[in-house]
Amino acid sequence: MRKRLLALFSVLIVGALVLSACGGETVVETVIVEKEGETIIETVVVEKEAEAGEIPVTLNLNLGTEPPTLDPSLATDTTSVDIQENLFIGLTNFNPVTNEVEPYLATSWDIAENADGEQTWTFHLRDDVPWVKYDPISGETTQEVDADGNPRFVNAYDVEYGVKRTVDPATGSDYAYVTYVIKNAAAINGGDEELTIDDLGVKALDETTVEFTLEYPAGYFDGISTMWIVKPMPAWAIDEWGDKWTEAGLIVTSGPYVLESWIHGGELSLVKNPLWIAADSVQIERVDFVMITEASTSFALYENNELDSTGVPLPEMDRVKADPVLSEELRIAPVPCTYYYGFTNSKPPLDDVRVRRAFSQAIDRQSLADNVLKGGQIPATSFAPPGIFGAPEPGTVGLGYDAAAAKASLQEYLDEKGMTIDEFNALDVVLMHNTSEGHARIAAAIQQMWADVLGVTVRVENQEWAVYLDTLKNTTPLEDMPHIWRLGWCADYPDENNWVHEVFNADAGANRLRREAGEFDALTAAAGIEPDPAKRAEMYAEAERLLTEVETAYAPIYHYTSVNVSKPWLTRNFPAIGGIDIYNWTVDMDAKLAAQ
Amino acid sequence: MAVADLELNSSITQQKERSLWQKSMDRLLRNKLAVISGIFIILMVLVAVFAKQLTPYTYAEQDLIANNAIPKWMLFIMPEGAENYANFSDKFPLAADHLGRDLLTRTIFGARVSLTIAFAGSLVSLLIGIVYGMISGYAGGRVDNLMMRVVDFLWAFPFLIVVILLQTYFKAIASRSGGEGMGGAFINLNNQMGGLLFLFIAIGLINWLGMARIARGQVLSYKQMEFVEAAHALGANDTRIMFKHLLPNILGPLIVAETMAIPGYIFTEAFLSFIGLGVNAPTPSWGIMIQEGVQALRSYPNQVLLPAIALSLTTLAFNFLGDGLRDAFDPRQIDK
Repeated sequence: MRKRLLALFSVLIVGALVLSACGGETVVETVIVEKEGETIIETVVVEKEAEAGEIPVTLNLNLGTEPPTLDPSLATDTTSVDIQENLFIGLTNFNPVTNEVEPYLATSWDIAENADGEQTWTFHLRDDVPWVKYDPISGETTQEVDADGNPRFVNAYDVEYGVKRTVDPATGSDYAYVTYVIKNAAAINGGDEELTIDDLGVKALDETTVEFTLEYPAGYFDGISTMWIVKPMPAWAIDEWGDKWTEAGLIVTSGPYVLESWIHGGELSLVKNPLWIAADSVQIERVDFVMITEASTSFALYENNELDSTGVPLPEMDRVKADPVLSEELRIAPVPCTYYYGFTNSKPPLDDVRVRRAFSQAIDRQSLADNVLKGGQIPATSFAPPGIFGAPEPGTVGLGYDAAAAKASLQEYLDEKGMTIDEFNALDVVLMHNTSEGHARIAAAIQQMWADVLGVTVRVENQEWAVYLDTLKNTTPLEDMPHIWRLGWCADYPDENNWVHEVFNADAGANRLRREAGEFDALTAAAGIEPDPAKRAEMYAEAERLLTEVETAYAPIYHYTSVNVSKPWLTRNFPAIGGIDIYNWTVDMDAKLAAQ
Repeated sequence: MAVADLELNSSITQQKERSLWQKSMDRLLRNKLAVISGIFIILMVLVAVFAKQLTPYTYAEQDLIANNAIPKWMLFIMPEGAENYANFSDKFPLAADHLGRDLLTRTIFGARVSLTIAFAGSLVSLLIGIVYGMISGYAGGRVDNLMMRVVDFLWAFPFLIVVILLQTYFKAIASRSGGEGMGGAFINLNNQMGGLLFLFIAIGLINWLGMARIARGQVLSYKQMEFVEAAHALGANDTRIMFKHLLPNILGPLIVAETMAIPGYIFTEAFLSFIGLGVNAPTPSWGIMIQEGVQALRSYPNQVLLPAIALSLTTLAFNFLGDGLRDAFDPRQIDK
């Protein structure tokens, strides 16, 4: 009996596999059949013919991880931002090719200087972008209505609300410091009790006009206006649902896609918003994201036609480049991101510039890019990558690989302290990275470079991403901080202010490097308010030089490239600022179905 | 089971105490699989001990240019089209990994880690287990009851989760090391051992439970016997009876059980290294090598093959040897 059951099961399983393998859609239907006068309810498996138009144009992607949040005020990471860019309209947007700021919700904007040295930016908005909500039960997307039954459109008050929400210390946005250029934002976000949120330099003049007052002239504010933290947000939905407002079925959005479902840690699906202002030009009707951490698993799914586009894991690079099919599907595009090793500047022995310099100069970045990364990465000697305003050309500023100089620098330190290399190693220098196959490989390679060039043994540790970010906070006691740690930084807007100033300035940024403020910090602060672009660029170049050549407060390693493979039926772009703008992509569904 | 059978044949055991060991040895030597396994394990131990002399490279030495290099003859295990992307080099007899480190060298040094774990793990668990179990069984009554409830209590913890927690805890302490005091010395020792010390502690701390139970059961059955009474009558104290008279009699089943548990220790180390809680990089361990190799499985299957074969053969050998030992110590086999 048991055997028979088993056999039956296997037939069923094989049957299910066969069914799911053919192109047509199989549907389990409950039908009522009349048999010999009796009415029976039967469950039958019906195979529907695959008809054009019946299967929505679907894109399958791997998100890599659970997005920490879909709340624009709270997002700090690329995963969250990638989804938000497809769910919410922004004030302005970057052109994916030229990287110039383009009209989006705002059709135009004026800049004026007033007497106090302040600057006002007035954005004129369009009035036809509906706020929508997706109903998971009926599967319909409907426009929101207000208390009087009038349809809601995105207006200037929603923008004002969104910005105020980000700046409000009660919201707890980790990205609020980007808005500090707005008048009073720094004070309000810092908890200044003499000011209320209404003193913030943002005001909706009418339904379609919003005015920002800035502390000082900031030419890069158009870049900030593209960002998620200043997007219009639906006050009524947030008031009603609190923290839960971003869940599927509750979230109110304004972008080209709506959130269909979000199974935390598993899957996330978007469907096209039929009420979107440019709905006709959005071709992909449905996006199914999976959340698979392992790059190798994701790549295997891609090879099995279950994903339409994915990153290429480091170990597969050789094969992908040599394979006649995969090499055609490979696309390597520079992205404005930099991979770096931060030094904890106040923790011995990294508190001495000679030690830091030795560690930085002993890294053979070119060899790392050619032999370990293999994705056309540019070896970095300074922070901001090419394409960012004020960024020096790679290799012109900073310290490159120089084994002899590195050795001499460390020896000088050892001689002065009267230490042997063994005594130095007993200090147990720790290099930490967040858990990932790729970071572990890079760390192992660099660990050995340090051992070869300097004779230094460094212990490599790793922590899970959320724990890791917590460890690196500057509130962590010094003894819990690793000496050296890995991070990357990607552009929010293409200006050096977003790089050396917001990341490394001891007063403005998170100061993970644990530096004492000095010449560098005064310089980046001054560059931020310098009106002359040429002079600004010079100041930033000097700041980059100070931080790498003079202080060697961190070691830039390389500028990222996005190394992706995409199926031939997917036409996608790689926006210069990074991210994924699915509303600009197309999928040839016939070809995709034929391949499956 | 050996425990019960020994009891039944206790008269034989008493009369021929010395020859029982000899007979067992004879029976073990007649078991071909066990002998081959034993020789294999001895060979592995020798390889691990003389790893430095056997290998032309060090395990950390990297030649980035020769990343993923393979010798030409290895093509037959490579996937289709490998000749187009493979980095051919005869520098490494059994290929190199993604950082151009010799895989053979790393596998040989990996044997050190696995075998050290095998022996240190069993030593720790035998020591704690025997002492604890014997005291519990010998004392009997309330003490026995209490001590065994502690074992039951600890037994209820999911083993892997406890090991993971312990490892995480040790690693967290290590990362805030100031290198001072006893804790500092401990941590420095651990670092010098490539993170092995904490693994020993974590694995040993958990695995003595089974040993304690077996030891207790054995002691319970033996302490009723005449030779124990005789020893009492002659005025031997408890310690002497326990370790001089009881221990030699109960050692057989314990050794069998321990040999069978060794593959578990090796796997635990491999597993912990696989999820990043094992030895510190760049110390090679088979678990870490398999983990790195799996990522490249589709492009360079050879990288996972070597450590995987080493791991499987070693655990198989310990299992066969354990089987052989069990049969050898089984008194029912005496007349065969």
